[in-house]
Amino acid sequence: MRLQLGYVPLTDAAVLIAAVERGFTAGEGLEVDLVAEPSWATLRDRLALGLLDGAHMLAPLALACHLGLSGPQARLIAPAALARNGNAVTLSLPLWQALDAESDALADVARALARVAEARAAEGRPLTLATVHPYSSHTYQWRRLLALGGSSLAAIRLVVVPPPRTVAALESGRIDGFCVGAPWSSVAVEAGVGRIAAFGAAIAPGCPEKVLALPVEMEDRAAPLLRALKQAARWCGDPAHHRDLAALLGAPRHLGLDPALILRGLAGALRLAPGGQLVEAADYLVLGEPELTPDQAALGWMVEEMAAAGQVEGTPADAAGLYRADLLAAA
Amino acid sequence: MPDRATSSPAAPAPSPGEPLTIAVVDPSRARAAILEEGLRAVEGARVVVIPDTADLLDRLSALSPDVVVIHLESPSRDLLEQMFGVSRLVERPVAMFVDRTDAPMMQAAVDAGISAYIVDGLRAERIKPIIEIAILRFNAFARLQRELTEAKSELADRKLIERAKGILMSAKGLTEDEAYKQLRRKAMNEKRKIVDIARAIVTAADLLG
Repeated sequence: MRLQLGYVPLTDAAVLIAAVERGFTAGEGLEVDLVAEPSWATLRDRLALGLLDGAHMLAPLALACHLGLSGPQARLIAPAALARNGNAVTLSLPLWQALDAESDALADVARALARVAEARAAEGRPLTLATVHPYSSHTYQWRRLLALGGSSLAAIRLVVVPPPRTVAALESGRIDGFCVGAPWSSVAVEAGVGRIAAFGAAIAPGCPEKVLALPVEMEDRAAPLLRALKQAARWCGDPAHHRDLAALLGAPRHLGLDPALILRGLAGALRLAPGGQLVEAADYLVLGEPELTPDQAALGWMVEEMAAAGQVEGTPADAAGLYRADLLAAA
Repeated sequence: MPDRATSSPAAPAPSPGEPLTIAVVDPSRARAAILEEGLRAVEGARVVVIPDTADLLDRLSALSPDVVVIHLESPSRDLLEQMFGVSRLVERPVAMFVDRTDAPMMQAAVDAGISAYIVDGLRAERIKPIIEIAILRFNAFARLQRELTEAKSELADRKLIERAKGILMSAKGLTEDEAYKQLRRKAMNEKRKIVDIARAIVTAADLLG
């Protein structure tokens, strides 16, 4: 069987990329073309219109597409979760200084950020903070971080910046901070333009990040791909393979970035500030076979967050059909 | 960027006959120009090409277009979804894409590499010609590009064969016609293309010369 699978080049596409590049899909008799997509919207449209057979996708975007809230509606299934956590909130160095947080503890950072956000809103020049798509855990993590400190999304200007453009946007001052997946926070720190202020894993522990989204028509044909993903997840979850995985992801055909920066996220040891020490963050990005099982609780969390962000009203009845742990278990 | 959240409530979408502002966003300037030219044929349309750069959001907010046609290759699409969907940076609500009931057209558009964002309430009969023109133009551009690539490689092949002929002529004292016949015979015997034989001769001559 030949499959066209889309992804957006990010560290958390690791399991899908490894499934193909390490030969696990070939071992299951699959011929896979991995297609790097320039935006989530493009990936969603191609998937919804049948030009892709499956994709690495923001979990909330898969849900939004499934519910007909975003793009052309398509019945999707998510039989595997590709990653948990992996985001970080990174602020410009001037904003980090203005925060003057008492400590690096989440509560202190949130309080300081909320204080500055409210002050800037009162002055009529709100902070401009970036997410990666309206339907993303990144959007919800901003909301939670601001709420934790006593502020809200209403106090800031939330914009979308594609991950590869975040570092330049921060450097130019067009945005004051961003919440983005690995490795882009490390890229900003390494470039000397940003300070990691909070890990997504601290803001929303166990946050559902990316899923494998398939058109519902793939339901009966997903087993070989799911078996390959299990093997790939096992391989990716082994710390002994992190260096090889970082090299694979860093290749020009995928992320095209320094493997050393990718390795920080995989190993859970990140530099928070330019020139700073490596800080342990074991659950910063979690890959591995146990993470593959899509968790209904995570789905419920997403629906709540969508409602809190004003993206959906109530609990849509169709939501429950998206996560299909049964298909993974049966594969 | 002006914060328009507090400005007047949603203005109505233009009715038939009223002028329509179409913004074209494309990472390729050549393709944007070809699309722009085509869209000028839409009656009552004002077409504005906006470069796909970091200040895209500000420029679009200032223009407040009725329709945005953007290439699928552009990473700025996610930015537009935020702008039109959640924030209130534009005065009028914008719905994404073509008529959802018209699946074949949507598929043709995505196939051609187009997405469009359209002011809510704009009538389907006004949108359809815009999308149709965009599909035709984008497909024509893709064809032109393919032909250009083919023409370039054809030209390079011809140059290589000319050089190989010249080498044979001076090395073996052949006429041009004889040199070409030798090349062709060698290619036929080895079941290879003439240009491959020519490349081997040129490479060898470069090494030996």
